[in-house]
Amino acid sequence: MVVSHFTALVLFSFLVSVVFGVLSKNTPRERALYGAKVFGVFVGIALLLGWIMYPAP
Amino acid sequence: MANKVVQETFSGHAQPKMSTLVRLCAAAWLVPGLGHLLLGRKWRGLILFATIVVMFLMGIAMQGEFFSTSSGSYLQTLGYFGELGVGVAMPAASFFGYAGGAPLFICADYGTAYLVAAGMLNVLAILDVYDIAMGRKP
Repeated sequence: MVVSHFTALVLFSFLVSVVFGVLSKNTPRERALYGAKVFGVFVGIALLLGWIMYPAP
Repeated sequence: MANKVVQETFSGHAQPKMSTLVRLCAAAWLVPGLGHLLLGRKWRGLILFATIVVMFLMGIAMQGEFFSTSSGSYLQTLGYFGELGVGVAMPAASFFGYAGGAPLFICADYGTAYLVAAGMLNVLAILDVYDIAMGRKP
């Protein structure tokens, strides 16, 4: 299976976020919200770091 | 059997027996989500099983590397124990002919990360099973 780095990143973040949500919270709504927040933070920070590293050789 | 385990482990605030804790944690290690199923948390167990197994299978699909302890490198040894966290999936993959991927494959590094992360997520699941059995979590 060949995937781009970004696709691998998004899939990884999604799977980890699901597990974090399930383990950290107790109700389905809390789990979904927390999982979505963790997913957003994962991808957002990855994009931010990518742009910070962009000028580097 | 599931009800009997639940009654043994969460009867009010009673401390579960050590043998019960060991059985639950071992089950959670061997098959992701099984510990939660034995504790009566059906959906939590199924979601954890699906997520961790999918992550492991994607790691294999991306030709991730199976570490070993024979290399002598500390990082490889840590990676081995990380991948071992997923239980029987790693020996089962070896049994069915997966020799550890192709290191030069374009996505192999991602696959290795997926394999180790699947193991680490299962370790979190094992700790969650322990907390639930001890009555610290609902």
